[in-house]
Amino acid sequence: MLNLLVSIKQVPDTTNIRINPETGTLIREGVPAVINPYDISALALACNLKKTYGGKITVITMGPPQARLALKEAIEYFADRIILLTDRRFAGADTLATSYTLAEAIKFLEKTDRPFDLYLFGKQAIDGDTAQVGPGVAARLNVPVITYTIKIEELDLEKRKIVVQRKTERGIEILSARLPVLLTCEKEAGHPVFSPLSAILQAQKAEPEVFGADGRIPYDLNRLGLKGSPTRVHRVYTPEIKKQGKMINLDEVGVEAAVEEIIKLFKAKGVL
Amino acid sequence: MGKVKADFEYDVVIVGGGPAGLSAGIYLGRKGVKTLLIERGRFCGAKNLFGGVVYTESIKTLAPEFPNVEPFPCERQVTEEGYLILTERGYVKLTHSKEDRTHSFTAFRAKFDPFLADVAQRAGVDLAPKTKVVDFLKDDDGNISGVIVDRPKSFFDSSPASISAKVVILAEGVNRVLSQKAGLYSRDFQPEEVVLSVKEVLQLPKGELEKRLGLKEDEGLALEILGFITQGYPGLGFLYTNKNSISFGIGVFLSELAKNRVRPYELLERAKTHPFFQRLFEGAEVLEYGAHLIPEWGYKGFPKFYGNGVLVCGDAGGFVNPLFKEGTNLAIYSGLLAGETAFLALEKGDFSEKTLKVYEEKLKESYFYKDLALAKNMKDLFLRNKHIFSTYPELLYEAMSLFFSAQGKFKREVIKEIITLIKKKRGFLGVLKDFLSFARLFW
Ligand SMILES: Cc1cc2nc3c(=O)[nH]c(=O)nc-3n(C[C@H](O)[C@H](O)[C@H](O)COP(=O)(O)OP(=O)(O)OC[C@H]3O[C@@H](n4cnc5c(N)ncnc54)[C@H](O)[C@@H]3O)c2cc1C
Ligand SMILES: Cc1cc2nc3c(=O)[nH]c(=O)nc-3n(C[C@H](O)[C@H](O)[C@H](O)COP(=O)(O)OP(=O)(O)OC[C@H]3O[C@@H](n4cnc5c(N)ncnc54)[C@H](O)[C@@H]3O)c2cc1C
Repeated sequence: MLNLLVSIKQVPDTTNIRINPETGTLIREGVPAVINPYDISALALACNLKKTYGGKITVITMGPPQARLALKEAIEYFADRIILLTDRRFAGADTLATSYTLAEAIKFLEKTDRPFDLYLFGKQAIDGDTAQVGPGVAARLNVPVITYTIKIEELDLEKRKIVVQRKTERGIEILSARLPVLLTCEKEAGHPVFSPLSAILQAQKAEPEVFGADGRIPYDLNRLGLKGSPTRVHRVYTPEIKKQGKMINLDEVGVEAAVEEIIKLFKAKGVL
Repeated sequence: MGKVKADFEYDVVIVGGGPAGLSAGIYLGRKGVKTLLIERGRFCGAKNLFGGVVYTESIKTLAPEFPNVEPFPCERQVTEEGYLILTERGYVKLTHSKEDRTHSFTAFRAKFDPFLADVAQRAGVDLAPKTKVVDFLKDDDGNISGVIVDRPKSFFDSSPASISAKVVILAEGVNRVLSQKAGLYSRDFQPEEVVLSVKEVLQLPKGELEKRLGLKEDEGLALEILGFITQGYPGLGFLYTNKNSISFGIGVFLSELAKNRVRPYELLERAKTHPFFQRLFEGAEVLEYGAHLIPEWGYKGFPKFYGNGVLVCGDAGGFVNPLFKEGTNLAIYSGLLAGETAFLALEKGDFSEKTLKVYEEKLKESYFYKDLALAKNMKDLFLRNKHIFSTYPELLYEAMSLFFSAQGKFKREVIKEIITLIKKKRGFLGVLKDFLSFARLFW
């Protein structure tokens, strides 16, 4: 029986994202939130593994109270237990504080229940984009990490061994590791799940277990949220899109002059 | 009726999570009936679009504390309402200030429907979003006794899930596919029975909406627009103010669009070049764009409202009164009546037509059924008599232009000019005929 942990983040739906041109910040107001797409792959992978090997899926997120909606949705991926870490003192966390907060919560879950065999994360969050949280949590849990996972080739629970394909810039690497291991998932990692009606109905009624910085999980308050985040945002700006290339208006110069001009430019660049 | 085997068991299944289905659900949930509402959208309202103005009275039947609810599901109260009549370059604006400032509100479906869904869930209704009903479950006698959805039963059985129900309430909206499958309609709707509507939500720089329309922050405007807006095709435009944006749209009978090969979006773009809108929308950003059908088959196209184990309400039943922007409220009222009927049937333990017929009786007593019966020829008149959408707006505008530029002229001459204008544009007999045929609609 597999014991799986999936860590998900609620992000703004970037299909309709807008930037405030004056402040350069994301307009979050009215933008619907969704589960980070790579985390959906992690959830789908967990779902497929549970279907094959049996077991239990725990899903965790740190975020504002409305992140509970992302967790409810996780039930549609066969999750059994959903955990929301929310507290004003968690707010403003950078990757360091986020990793700490998640790792401590995971340790707490393992101590009060049983250890996980696999920790599944997204490759990166589409809003923060650092791809640091997965490896950061792995370091704190003292487990190996395999990033950019695209496929689990083999999983042997007896031998506690896993073989994983990971995408790199040069090609596909095949790695084997001992369980427990933390994987960060690419899009390809999990096949899309068409959830059954039973799970859709359960998701509507499910409510997460909520933990804060109230002492149940033994947090060092100085390492949480803004306080525990050395990252300072210097400036956020929208990169200027530079116009590339030279425009030659045919109506103004005529075709012949335009062709001559282009040949001249090509020669100058050494193309011709 | 015989029992059927199913994967899930409910007393009532409602198809569609718009205002009609949600209202039926709220009624049944409060009566303690085991009810499942199935909506194919990601959440209620996700797939939907309307103008739109909602009426407080109808919402209070579901949530008596409205409009004092948190978070508030609407945009602005409507404090000024009326008509904007357009010619190619000019306009006549006729509005009235509303005494009752909480009479109606503008809203977005993506916010309004989830509010009702929340009321329904708190009333005990089970909700299955992202799920589409694809067929009916039938007992041995062929009576409807549940539904089949596109979702699998479980993670280990991929065959489609079935849900048994003693009554199925169809609130599927204008695309009345299942109502037809249930035999309540005998045919598809025709292009002249529906209006295709397109809508944009335009955002103005902060404070500009109030400035340009002469509103205060807690005031709102609702305009129905006639004339050049549809290029004379039978239909209407609308303009409603939201908190920080304006909903602007056009609806024209589908048959006219098809016949004349016009796309409604072109009409909208064209309308935006009219001086009235050019000024209003200067610097505006389009936040959203969408299209939706409005059922206008009305009384003459009414379905059979009930069958063995099945009822139909809302848009799916044709309950829209376009002249008075009544759609959402009629969906609510007809949904409630369907809920009442289903509850009655459950109490009696009989779900056959014999009992469910009560629904039709309830409908016939309602004001909106009578309204639609009264206006049964309206659509035909609009499609036949195009003067309403072209000649009269121009006539009104030109007559007013003459009247208000009469300085320095002998007034009898001015009146004469206006009379000549009417004669030329439509002729007295024509005006009389139009007036009578319009008056006859309501008499
Ligand atoms: C320069 C900079 C400035 C920032 N400023 C701010 C700020 O002012 N305010 C602010 O709120 N944020 C800010 N952030 C964002 C914040 O630091 C990150 O969102 C957060 O620490 C997670 O990092 P990430 O989004 O890059 O996640 P990644 O490391 O890209 O995420 C990888 C995976 O980790 C997991 N994961 C990530 N976050 C969570 C979570 N919260 N719960 C559970 N699992 C998670 C998911 O599986 C995810 O797929 C800033 C980020 C940067 C880089
Ligand atoms: C442009 C426009 C402007 C309008 N303006 C106004 C206005 O100002 N005021 C007003 O009162 N009314 C207005 N209306 C009309 C109003 O929107 C409708 O009358 C009202 O929404 C009808 O509600 P309903 O619940 O019957 O249907 P809908 O709101 O259409 O809901 C039907 C629901 O059923 C779901 N569904 C359909 N088939 C299935 C299936 N097989 N399985 C699962 N789910 C399914 C759909 O996804 C949908 O959510 C306007 C309509 C339009 C198009």
